This record gives sequence, structure tokens and C-alpha cells, in this order.
Amino acid sequence: MFRTRIAPPLLGAGIVLAVLGALVLAAGKPLGESFQIILQGATGYPRGEAFGPLDAWDAVLHDMTLLLLTGLAVAVALQAGLFNIGAAGQLLVGALVAAWVGGLTGAPAPLHLLLTLLAGAAAGALWAFPPAWLRVRRGAHEVISTIMFNYIALYFTHWLVTERLKDPAGDAPQTAPIAQAAQLPLLREEFLQANWGLGIAVLVALGLWLALYRTVWGYETRATGANRDAAEAAGAPTARRMTQAMLLSGALAGLAGAIEVCGAQYRFFEGFPAEYGFDGIAVALLAGNHPALAMLSAYLMSALRSGAYHLHAETGAPKEIAVVVQAALILYVAAVYLRRRRVEG
Amino acid sequence: MGEIFDAQLFGTAIRQATPLILAALGGLMSERVGVINIGLEGKILMGAFAAALGALLSGSPLVGLACAVLVGLTLALLHAVATQELRTDHIVSGVAINLLALGLSTYLFRQIIVPREEAGESSVVAMFGAARLGGLENLPVLNALLKDQSWLTLFALVLPFVLLIMLTRTRWGLRVYAVGNDSVKARMMGVPVKRLRYLGVLWSGALAGMAGAFLVLAATGQFRENMSAGRGFIALAALIFGRWHPLGAAGAALGFGFFEALQMRLQGQPLFGVQLPTDLLLMLPYLLTVIALMGLLGRMKPPSDLGN
Repeated sequence: MFRTRIAPPLLGAGIVLAVLGALVLAAGKPLGESFQIILQGATGYPRGEAFGPLDAWDAVLHDMTLLLLTGLAVAVALQAGLFNIGAAGQLLVGALVAAWVGGLTGAPAPLHLLLTLLAGAAAGALWAFPPAWLRVRRGAHEVISTIMFNYIALYFTHWLVTERLKDPAGDAPQTAPIAQAAQLPLLREEFLQANWGLGIAVLVALGLWLALYRTVWGYETRATGANRDAAEAAGAPTARRMTQAMLLSGALAGLAGAIEVCGAQYRFFEGFPAEYGFDGIAVALLAGNHPALAMLSAYLMSALRSGAYHLHAETGAPKEIAVVVQAALILYVAAVYLRRRRVEG
Repeated sequence: MGEIFDAQLFGTAIRQATPLILAALGGLMSERVGVINIGLEGKILMGAFAAALGALLSGSPLVGLACAVLVGLTLALLHAVATQELRTDHIVSGVAINLLALGLSTYLFRQIIVPREEAGESSVVAMFGAARLGGLENLPVLNALLKDQSWLTLFALVLPFVLLIMLTRTRWGLRVYAVGNDSVKARMMGVPVKRLRYLGVLWSGALAGMAGAFLVLAATGQFRENMSAGRGFIALAALIFGRWHPLGAAGAALGFGFFEALQMRLQGQPLFGVQLPTDLLLMLPYLLTVIALMGLLGRMKPPSDLGN
């Protein structure tokens, strides 16, 4: 019990603290004080003068919304045995389409928001379809095709935002702001970016939990991911489940992009933060692809980011500390929990 | 059109293609022994940083190159141990290595090189000069293409042929083929599967590190954050587009390098009377690879034992 269930997470936490400490020391910052600053950035406490608790929660809850959705996107595909590295591209396309639909006028408030979010999700799903089709029909590895679609999305959205959908009111490579009716309200008035998209993300997580663990569809999907041949032999429509999981994955990543547009940025622009799509991989792996645990791992990842950013703001230590820690965490989780079945001759 | 398609354009194409060829052939060595390697990007980036640091501290580009290869080998060793000893998923390990390289290279850059820049010291390193071609200089076309190229480029152009001979004409090459197609059977036949896998992955690290070194020591002269800029993934695309064949991969890398050079040259100028968006040219390698994956350009067959 201790060796298999309790020791690995403790060791993981120890490794995270050790890597974090080593990077802080190597940056020439005092250890105790730095950890205090990181903790402050991650939780808002103890309350600082320049950096009140609300700012920390603004950053943490905002990041958590996006990380949870991209984490769920990666997780649902992995449950069906597919590795969606394309969440970044799906997020970009979802965000751009949401910025376009949100920029139209005429629809009343709740409907316009709903349509904008749905359009973003649909665009993400559409972007995930070719890799799904290539995998199911052509046997092409989805990792390769989703990487290709990430770059196609990057250049495609860049072309649109600089040439076709550029805000005519300025020179900046960005779309016009979306209509008031398509905006998601902020969680608190004092916040700048944390919005009610978090509520949507949590509802999606709970819904996905039910769908994956309490329905026949979910059972078949997970069976497909565990062993496709066995699932097929047992009568599950594995090709269909894989395609559906991939489309759902793309939709969630696209929804993340739409929520970032409707709740925080109010437009699409050159250099839109697509990295959240990659960070979703860490969130999903850390949660063991479980939707409920993804809420916890999304919170931990965003707290880590906010803490590292706060340390950067206060002391000038590189904020990439968070990226290195995240990489170490992925390697650890992969080595301990995600071993391939041994096929020895 | 004459002023667009000149020898200089093709010379630039070869220069742009050099890191792609090196990294694609590295990826090929890894995938041929059955280890998926999406960590090329990270190895290029880390290699570029190591090259800049080594050359900056020593004043010698050769030391920079050695550092880049060493760092590439280290990251590759991490991938090999993770996939072969700890049996982690190849993709996950590759993703982690890319993240590690992005985080670590930026972190170290800000800790070591940026303070020097702020103190007014130059971060531009000594670079490799143009390689002398000897008797080849008398050949008109070859001279136009290869003059002013560094010897790393010449190495990258020769390497595919060397690799092809090694893969098809040596005992080692046949063993690599056996491991990549059925490692279980290969092991039963007495082929040292694990050793070959380690070697293949280490090769990929050395070559990807070298690709990173090229960016600093032969192309730009200094390190910049995330300067690999997706080249590892274009190399991966070239490897697949070239169907895991040394000449195919190198040819695809040259083609993709040509799109980059054309994009740099056009800069909004019309081509054949058509205004091509530069984004479209940059997108082309990925689009072509997707089309290849669709099976429209003939059968795609990766090594069958990939990822096990």
C-alpha cells in the first residue's frame, strides 16, 4: 500500500520541490524567501503590499480555466488511446472563429455568447477531424498529424488576422473587439481576466466524468483506449469511439480558445497564447486522464505558473522555472505511472 | 522571374535546409530502430544554446560545436533511458524533453548571457567561415550553390549518402532494419536490440545538437530564446515525407528549406503575377506532409516496430 499508493506522489512532490529549490538557488536567490514569494503568487497569502491576494487569484483562476479545458481535451483523447498534441492548434482556430462570431452584431446577449462559444468549440472539433480521420482510416499516427495541424493553424490564423479579419480601425494585427453581448462576465469586479469560463470548465469536467465512467459510451471509449483489439472483438465500435473522442478533444480545446476570447481578451491577435494547449498535456498526465482529478492538477499547474511569475516580478528570477519544473513532473509521472506493457520475446 | 530564381536563392535554400537535414537524419536514425523521437525540437534548441555558450566562453566555434553535440547526446540519453529502461511512452518522454529544453535554455540564457549583454559585452560568437571547395570551385553551378557555405552544410549534404550506404551495405544496417521491423524476432536472432536502440537515439541527439549549433555558429552568430522555432518539427515532417529513407528525408528537407528561402526572398513580391501570402509558403511543408499521410503520394510505411 505505502510503496504503490502513497510513496510515489510524496516522492513526486519532493522532486518538484527539489527541482524548484535548485533552480531558485542557481538563479542566486535566497531559498526561504523565494519559496515564500512563490507561495504568495500561488495563493495570494501572505498578503503583500504591491501584490494583493486578489491579483494572485485573478491569475490562478484564469490560467486554471484554460488549463482545465485543454487538460480535459488531452485526457479524453488519451482515454480513447489517442495522443492529441494538437490542442494548441485547435485552441487557436477556436479562438479566431469565436472572435469572428463574437464580432458580428445583432444577437441578444445570452444567445450571442452561447453562439460564440459553440462556434469556437465547433471550429476546434473541425480542426481535430482530419487527424482523427487519418488515424482511423489511414493508420497515420495522430501525434504526427496533430503536430502538422498545429503549424497549419498557426500560419492560417496568422494569415487571417493580418490580412482578412484585421481590425480596420488600427494597424495592429488583431481582430476588432467582440460585441458586449458576446462577453463572459469576470468572476469578480476587481479581476482583470479570471471569468465565468471557469464555471463552464468545471461543469464540463463533471459532465465528462459522468460520461466516461457512468455510460456505455464512456466504457466503450475507455475499453478502446485500453486495448483496441479486445474492445473491437467485444463488439465496441472502436473506430467511431476514437473519432468521437478526438472530435470532443478538439471541441474542448476550441472552447478554451473561445473562452479566452469572450472572457479575457475580447479579440484575437497575433501571438495569441496557444501554449495552453501544450500545458494541457501535463495537466492530463498528472491527473491520470481522470476528469475530476484534472481539476486538481489544473489548479496545481496554474498555481505553479503564478508562483513562478510572481517570483520573476519580485526578484527577476527567470519565470521559465515553472516550465522546467513542469517538464520534470511529466518525466516523473511518465516513468512511474505510464509504463508501456512489457512485450518481451 | 530571373531576379527571384537565381543561384543566391538556391544557396539560401541549402543554408536553410542544413539544420533540417541534420535533424531529419537524426530522427531517422532513432525511428529506424523503433524509437519515436518528437524531442528533436528540444535537442536543436538546447544544442543552439550550448553552442553559443561554448563558443562565447572559449572563443572557438569548434568548442561550441562540441558542446552542442554533447548536450544533444545528454538529452538523447535521457530519452533512451526513459524509453528503454523505465519503459515510458515515447511521445510523453519527447514532450517532456521539448519542455525541458525550452525552459532550461531560456532560464540559462537569462542567467548567463543576458547579464553579459546588459553589462555591455557582446553575445555574438566566433562563427565558422565558408568552407574551401578546392577543385570544385571550377564547376560553375556547384560553385554558385556551395560557395560561402560552411563545412557543416557540406557535411549535411554528404551525410545522407553515407547513411544510405551504412544502412544498406553493412551488418549494422541490416541489424537496424531487423530491430525496427520486429524487435522481438531480432532479439531471438541474437541481435543486441537495446544497444542498437541506444546508438540510434544517441545519433539523433548528436545530429540534432549539431543542427542547433549550425543555427548559432554558421547562421546567426548568437543565441535567441526559442530560436529553433519549430525546425525540429519540420525535420520530423521531412523525415516522414521522405518515408524514413536517408535520401528521401534529405530531399524533403531541401525542399522545405527552399520554401523558407523563397518566402524570405519574396517578402510580399508577386510570384508569376500572383501575390502569395508568406504564411502560405511557411505552411506548405506541413500541408504537404499531411497530404503524404493521406496516402495520396503512395504508400507510407513507418518502421513497423515504432513505439514499442
